[in-house]
Amino acid sequence: MPVSPLVEFTFALSAVVILISSLAVVLIKNPVRATLMLILSFLPTSLLYLLLQASFVAVLQILVYAGAIMMLFTFVIMMINPSPNEGDAPMAGNESAWSGLRGALVGLVVIGAAGILIIPLVYHAAGDVAVQPVSKPGFGGLDSIARLLFEDPANNPLTVSFELISFLILVGVIAALNFSRRKGAEALREESIRNRPTEALPVVPSRETAAPGAVLDRK
Amino acid sequence: MMPHLFTLPNCLALSLLLVLIGAFGVFRRHSLIMILLSVEVMLNGANLSLVAFNYFRWGTSETSHYLYMLAIGVAAVEAAVGLSMIIVLFKNYNDITRDRVARLGERAA
Repeated sequence: MPVSPLVEFTFALSAVVILISSLAVVLIKNPVRATLMLILSFLPTSLLYLLLQASFVAVLQILVYAGAIMMLFTFVIMMINPSPNEGDAPMAGNESAWSGLRGALVGLVVIGAAGILIIPLVYHAAGDVAVQPVSKPGFGGLDSIARLLFEDPANNPLTVSFELISFLILVGVIAALNFSRRKGAEALREESIRNRPTEALPVVPSRETAAPGAVLDRK
Repeated sequence: MMPHLFTLPNCLALSLLLVLIGAFGVFRRHSLIMILLSVEVMLNGANLSLVAFNYFRWGTSETSHYLYMLAIGVAAVEAAVGLSMIIVLFKNYNDITRDRVARLGERAA
């Protein structure tokens, strides 16, 4: 399949930028900068989607992913406002710092070994599959995807599952609301004790309040 | 003649590297927000492999683009629920490092 050198160059450049900015997400201490690095890694990813003739997916990547989800992250980070270095600082004491470093080393070794083992497998397995080039006119465009999703909606399983995403989002909204209303267990118990309607409670005779000589019949 | 770069194995290797970078971040970072960001990096790699497979192997239908939409829907819900959990944890513990928070329900000694 003939590919123009411009496409090759764009692919290589965006791959390098994606890898570097994703590594920066993992390595940078400051959470706000890490989020901005993740947004930066989404831009060449969107360019890559354009190369893969997925124009609507590229638009979604920018609008929804970088525009909405990452803004949510940024809002929460600015709300919590962790200090630049404290967010990742290991706990006090040299031993904890060493254990954090050791965890990073173990993770690096395990994941690097997995990558070294898997990448030749990927090239071996995917190298000799037959490439079936894109033959559909308007592949990846809004019109084509809309036809895929909503054509003949009574018999189209994709339509039903697409509408079911809205239920998933509804469940997420309810869960987030529930979390934001819930307080800590201690505060909740104190508040329930404080707000208990005391006058409605029956007076249970105890050893202190009962008349001397009375028989306490507690179950 | 330069070698072909824009091929299916290269796209898959790129997405595999993204997933591994994200997994490394999940292992390495201590802040819960940073762990969620690393999960987003992993999701990004998975989405890239979906779209690459659709371009190189199934050029007659955009089913993987639809799967991408499903994935970002799930990612949005996961980010919303995870971030609200982080806010609740921050209210209760005044700290979001996983070493302080992860106790599996037992009280701190």
